[in-house]
Amino acid sequence: MTRIGFRLALAYRSNIIITCVTLVAQVFLLRMIWTSVYGSRPSAAGLTLDALLAYLTLANLQAFATHTIVAHTIHDRIRTGTVFFDLARPVGYLRQMAGFQIGNTGGGLLLLAPVIPVVLLVGSITVPVNGLGYLVTLALGYVIAVQLALLISLIGFWTMETGAISLFYRLVSQFFAGTMVPLTFFPGALGALAEILPFKYMGYVPAAIYVGHISDVSGPVLVEVGWIVGLGGLLVLTWSRARRRVVIQGG
Amino acid sequence: MIRVEGLTKVFRRPRTFSGPFGALRTLVTRQHVEKTAVDDVSFEIHEGEVIGYLGPNGAGKSTTIKILTGILTPTSGTVEVNGLVPWRDRSVNARNVGVVFGQRSQLWWDLPLIESLRLVGALYDVPAPRFERSLKKLRDLLGLDEFLDTPVRQLSLGQRMRGDLAAAVLYEPPLLYLDEPTVGLDVVAKEAVREFIVETNGAGRTTVILTTHDLADVEALCKRIILIDHGKVLFDGAIDALVNEPRRLVVTLESEPEEVRGVPRDAEGRYVFEIHDDLPGMIASIAAEHTIRDLSVEEPDLESVIKGIYTR
Repeated sequence: MTRIGFRLALAYRSNIIITCVTLVAQVFLLRMIWTSVYGSRPSAAGLTLDALLAYLTLANLQAFATHTIVAHTIHDRIRTGTVFFDLARPVGYLRQMAGFQIGNTGGGLLLLAPVIPVVLLVGSITVPVNGLGYLVTLALGYVIAVQLALLISLIGFWTMETGAISLFYRLVSQFFAGTMVPLTFFPGALGALAEILPFKYMGYVPAAIYVGHISDVSGPVLVEVGWIVGLGGLLVLTWSRARRRVVIQGG
Repeated sequence: MIRVEGLTKVFRRPRTFSGPFGALRTLVTRQHVEKTAVDDVSFEIHEGEVIGYLGPNGAGKSTTIKILTGILTPTSGTVEVNGLVPWRDRSVNARNVGVVFGQRSQLWWDLPLIESLRLVGALYDVPAPRFERSLKKLRDLLGLDEFLDTPVRQLSLGQRMRGDLAAAVLYEPPLLYLDEPTVGLDVVAKEAVREFIVETNGAGRTTVILTTHDLADVEALCKRIILIDHGKVLFDGAIDALVNEPRRLVVTLESEPEEVRGVPRDAEGRYVFEIHDDLPGMIASIAAEHTIRDLSVEEPDLESVIKGIYTR
């Protein structure tokens, strides 16, 4: 399944090229806007302009790298009834789908690789303050992203249609991950909410560790592991209930 | 091989409402509609048999197959496949079973056929040497070589079906469910699928359950059929036993009397005689009394027999 996900990522090359262009453009636009917002101020909310730009570049790169196609794939396979074949395999359904997503991310990263230098240049990235901490928190954040995507997809076993839910989820997760605006700038209640939600581990936390805005790594890692264990349990529970709800489209 | 007893599957769905706010009411309703897809079905299938599992659309065929593969849990009844309860030992049972659905494909649409076959090999833990051996055999048997590296979306329906058959038997399951494997195929492609079924059944002692609307498939492949409709078994036995009705002699006459030899004229002005032994004698005796305008002899065939049962 991992191999299939990987090959599919390569099969949709034109998609990836467009993604790359979007990515470069987005980083460029964010840079323009924030440079003008900062004006002559040296820093805001403890972030210098340089650190902020590096943060935004990373957060956007991460958003593309941790983008989960699996929700879309599951939705499609439930709708067309081909989910039958996934369910008929000796290997567990969640394992197949997770493998698929990981392979797909791998393929996506491979295609994204050539543009990463360009993005880093446009986003004027600096040397990481804590490279290892960055990689560890990002990897764990990715696991959370896949778990959440699978959880959202499983709703399809009850409602058949998950297109709208997926879109909503994507918008919310990107916003609360701090892809457009770092969480530091979120006011009062919104900031508190973003602090509680797990989405920050896909964007804000690793990127902030990279630029040195967050110096404590062990705290976030511990919370991430907690989320992974909790979501893992929830997934297994939800799946065992979804199993019993299986109705396959088309007789 | 397969033992099914008192199998019943009831689907429960929220009631759907129409009219304004219908969708909303559907979403919040506590009322449910129940539909019995399979109703007290029992049968037994022995190793090496090719069974025609027949019935009109929506009769409950696919539901039965989904239960036998372990994907659906029945409402009641017992099922044993190769000594296993499919939905309880789903993972082990899955290795014993190959499935082809003519209407949908297990092949990955945007990838070359070989990738889907490799996936099947990996998911069913087929060791590399056995995979290669199995693939080699299937390449020859199904002529896969010409399109093994072509993305599935570019294949013709016949090629796609051959790919799906290959994927279903790659791990050499002792049991094969074929759901309309010839649907939409041309005569030559149909023949290829039938030959493949005969070959697979003969060589490996593979048991085959075949669901189809093409009765020529059934006549070519199956000795025994199970006929279901509205979730109930209507007939289970040899085809020969089903098609043992007498031949029928149909005549029209110049004079069109009310009745001839006890047979009344039907709505189309024909007289239909059941022939048990002497056909020429019957024709001669009618010709002696009346001027025959037209005559035909109808052999009983599976299609008309089954049509008779469906509409009963």
